[in-house]
Amino acid sequence: MGLVFRCAKWSAILGGLVLCALMVMIVSSVAGRAMIGLGLGPVPGDFELVEAGTAIAVFFFLPWCYLRGGHATVDLFYMHLPKAVQWFVVTLSDLLMLALWLVLTWRLWDGLLEKREYMETTFILQMPVWWAYALCMVGAVIGCLAYVAKTLIQFKLASWPEGWPTEAAGGH
Amino acid sequence: MTGIELAAWSFPVLLGLIFIRVPIGLAMALCGLVGAYLIYGTHMPILNQLKQITFSTFSNYSLSVIPLFLLMGQFAALGGLSQALFKAAEAWIGHRKGGVAMAAVGACAGFGAICGSSLATAATMGQVALPELKRAGYSGALSTACLAAGGTLGILIPPSVVLVIYAILTEQNIAKLFLAAFVPGILAAIGYAIVIAIYVRVKPDSAGSMAPMPMKERWKATAKVWPVMVIFLAVVGGIYTGLFTPTEGAAVGAFGTGLSAWLSGGLNRRTLRDAILGTAMATGMIFMIVLGAGLYNTFLALSQLPQEMAQLVVGSGLSPWMVLAIVLGVYLLLGCVMDSLSMILLTIPIFFPMIMGLDFGMTPEETAIWFGILVLIVVEVGLITPPVGMNLFVINSMARDIPISHTFRGVMPFVASDLVRTIILAAFPAITLFVLRL
Repeated sequence: MGLVFRCAKWSAILGGLVLCALMVMIVSSVAGRAMIGLGLGPVPGDFELVEAGTAIAVFFFLPWCYLRGGHATVDLFYMHLPKAVQWFVVTLSDLLMLALWLVLTWRLWDGLLEKREYMETTFILQMPVWWAYALCMVGAVIGCLAYVAKTLIQFKLASWPEGWPTEAAGGH
Repeated sequence: MTGIELAAWSFPVLLGLIFIRVPIGLAMALCGLVGAYLIYGTHMPILNQLKQITFSTFSNYSLSVIPLFLLMGQFAALGGLSQALFKAAEAWIGHRKGGVAMAAVGACAGFGAICGSSLATAATMGQVALPELKRAGYSGALSTACLAAGGTLGILIPPSVVLVIYAILTEQNIAKLFLAAFVPGILAAIGYAIVIAIYVRVKPDSAGSMAPMPMKERWKATAKVWPVMVIFLAVVGGIYTGLFTPTEGAAVGAFGTGLSAWLSGGLNRRTLRDAILGTAMATGMIFMIVLGAGLYNTFLALSQLPQEMAQLVVGSGLSPWMVLAIVLGVYLLLGCVMDSLSMILLTIPIFFPMIMGLDFGMTPEETAIWFGILVLIVVEVGLITPPVGMNLFVINSMARDIPISHTFRGVMPFVASDLVRTIILAAFPAITLFVLRL
């Protein structure tokens, strides 16, 4: 169990590093474009890199977000529900999340195969689109594991790893 | 059942799920998928769409601005910028009646110029200003309330994550929306300062006093806020002049605040990890709602409900201002229980065509921008209205000795100021739009 949770945390950090790398790439691209007179130029295909990179980062963020209870919810009425109903609601959410994510991961895999079959590439870098899909797939599978883990905990078939903080964030 | 009926039935189901505390993004995704399945009568088209839709939603270039703005806010919180802003504002107005609280609001406004999130602004400025307010003899109710209200400036003053989402949903120009938000944001800060001025006169024991600072000290404190000025001008100016896209602006801003945090010694391995995890959490939350809303809105579009609703409202003969008042009222009510982004993603696909179908005597673009700013303000009120206003809890969790009921009571005048400002901005669109007409 601890392994899945550590995995989710590390994947979030990894996603964050991808985001930081994108930031540095964009700043150099903007700087290069500003100094076009000096023979420099923007990073080729910067838009494509941003698009693929953001998708990968988001897929890597989601498992951590769910395990930490980070998704936006309306808590007002829940607080006044009886304990048993609260348990039912959380179980329902966990099962629905797991079901949704299994379907989305399965469809992402089919999408990946399709992109590979048609050898679709990005416009400027000619980078195969399925590469980005494959990296997202890693995040999606970690997500499936995380949601399975959370559901098992909910059914008391496993327990929270020690020292795992679950706080309700949310809101903006 | 026809598509319209299905869509109409999906509302109570969706709200029911959301209100029992199913995550909002998840509830929208499920209702959208089931609804689309019922309209098509078969699962094949949906399964086909799902091959692409998750990746294409997450890799949308316009949306890539969001994680970068969130990262920028996280970095901004690490540097000494919040401290510098508060010290500078305090140096100028701290000695006035209620001046330290006004300085806190002013510093929130300054911080809002480099941070696109209300919670982050409230949390960051709370850490800096709460101890100072206490030392200066301000009451707990006023201290927590002015910071919770000041926190909303994080999103009212550009850059703003909520405006980015609105711009994408309604296909408006982000740069113009940012520019239009600027004057209402400043008005909000002035409104809060007026509230504080009245508050300390009605309850004189709620504020202490401070000796004025010599001019030299004032300028010295002001000089320390230059990174904020530079970053704000580079980001918002660059986006507005078209020098770079919003995403590039956000990246430049994140780089700037990161650099400033690193130079001031606030950025090390541990804080970088926390900043990344904070960004991951907020980004995950937002993109989950965006994904769910995308699926739900696909279903709504299939059902044709938004068009029918818009036509119904236009044909009903209700005055446009009446419709606007009802829409804003719905946001105020929803805001008492729901967060701002979910509200916008849930309702704009319905309300926006409705408002655009009515005649307010402005061009469509002006109407869209003005409505966007009004929505931005009313959804932010939700952050400071009891019982679930997030800013109130964020600030209150930092000041354990102040009962939440005091904060609730203290914030009411600030909510009133928000309502007055909404009415003024709704009645006089020119206040919002004149910068665009220059």
